[in-house]
Amino acid sequence: MANVAGVPVTDDVAARIANSIGPAFDGFAPLAGTLPFDLEPATFVAVQLGKDGK
Amino acid sequence: MNDQGPITATEPALMSLAGVAKAIADKRISSREATQSCLNRIKQWEPGLNAFMAIEADDALKAADAADAMLAAGKTLGPLHGVPLAHKDMYYEAGKVVTCGSIIRRDWVATTTSTALQRLKDAGTIRTGSLHMAEFAYGPTGHNAHYGAVHNPWGFDHITGGSSSGSGAAVAARLTFAALGSDTGGSIRMPAHFCGVTGLKTTVGRVSRAGAMPLSQSLDTVGPLARTAEDCALLLSLMAGADADDPTAIDGEVPDYMAALNAPMTGLTIGVPKAFYVDDLDPDVARVLEETVAVLKQEGARIVAVDLPDQRQLTAACQLVLAVEAAAFHKAWMIERPQDYSAQVLMRLQNGLAIPAISYLETMRWRGSALAAHLAATAGVDAVIAPVAPVPAPTIADSDVGNKPGAEAVIQNLTRFTRPINYLGLPSLAIPAGFARNGLPIGLQLVGRPFDEATLLRIGAGFQRATDFHTKVPELQ
Repeated sequence: MANVAGVPVTDDVAARIANSIGPAFDGFAPLAGTLPFDLEPATFVAVQLGKDGK
Repeated sequence: MNDQGPITATEPALMSLAGVAKAIADKRISSREATQSCLNRIKQWEPGLNAFMAIEADDALKAADAADAMLAAGKTLGPLHGVPLAHKDMYYEAGKVVTCGSIIRRDWVATTTSTALQRLKDAGTIRTGSLHMAEFAYGPTGHNAHYGAVHNPWGFDHITGGSSSGSGAAVAARLTFAALGSDTGGSIRMPAHFCGVTGLKTTVGRVSRAGAMPLSQSLDTVGPLARTAEDCALLLSLMAGADADDPTAIDGEVPDYMAALNAPMTGLTIGVPKAFYVDDLDPDVARVLEETVAVLKQEGARIVAVDLPDQRQLTAACQLVLAVEAAAFHKAWMIERPQDYSAQVLMRLQNGLAIPAISYLETMRWRGSALAAHLAATAGVDAVIAPVAPVPAPTIADSDVGNKPGAEAVIQNLTRFTRPINYLGLPSLAIPAGFARNGLPIGLQLVGRPFDEATLLRIGAGFQRATDFHTKVPELQ
């Protein structure tokens, strides 16, 4: 995956990356692929500035 | 420890930011006296602390003399006229070397001045130097493989927290009246907690980030570390607001942060999380949390238990966003100059290469829903109180994790209470709230609603009127 990103890494580094970032993937896994079709990132600012934010 | 004594001309460095600014304005002390006092303490402390990247004593004294001359002529630049400050070495100042704690930028000279810094300069501040930080602000401990660790003034064997390591140490040791830090995953609140100072992580969009070294464009925030909530309010008043150079800085009226400071806590509701932030705490941290809640209640706040959404998902989302955005900023240097990164920072940057675009975009798409869920869960609550970290400062030796396989787990434990707040983009005020049995400070964070820093500062100021933890000064070992 790192090679795909354009930065070559050794097998050792690839294994270490998997160990380091794996828990984050696991933590987000329950949400991955479940988000509504119309949800997009600008929703964040809308919520920040919306009445519920006050 | 020492109690902060009365404000005297013999050691002006012990004064608060608001106090020294008023003393200079009233001509009870000169800018030169204030600056010399800070320089004296820097000379005493710096060999043990390693808090500064650069000390510019001669230039600072010249600037102080110019400020005094201007004041004598009946002119003033602003509310911080003649006040000497130093900031995290990632705020660009035209003509100055800004290392960002790195080898890669060791000799890099900025050609522009950051908006936050410029606004403080416009208010009259002068510069005593620049403060140490984690390499590219990518580390929560205060370690820096290139320039050495910053040492905690309460115990030199202990970490300061990072990435605003020099800011935390220098404010705590009274080497500077306040300092800018930055908070992407906890980098203001961690040093505030570990060093016993007050630190304000601002809402994403509250303060311009123009001319501040980027780490993660979605998470980065600019904020102060200072001795009191009042000092943080003063600095925020000067820095906040729209900026043509940073369209992400929200337009609109900036509240009068100083005006609300003296209001009592009566009528405010403070939430205490039922889980996550109270799980697996060091006994001293748990005790300080309990004692602080009692003080807040005694001061008139209504205390309620709050059931927050799953914070582990927020932590994970924060980690994914930070890893990708940091790697994107650094990709060219990762290819061209990998040898110039420390092993630990290069490892963290490499993590971002392994995250698919689809995963990153999902975390960004979810952010609004996650914030909405948090706001719904805390409806009617003005602030949530929680520890900054589950433990007081560990030793430098115990937290020097290098690039070991378990490094990320150690880092995750230190930052597990700060990262969810960064993902939600919320403001959070870290306040000194007690001490561990080994004498190290313990801070707590008050997490507010978007753009409601004023309420956090009001609670912080009220707590500091009722307690004296923020006045304690470490003794030179």
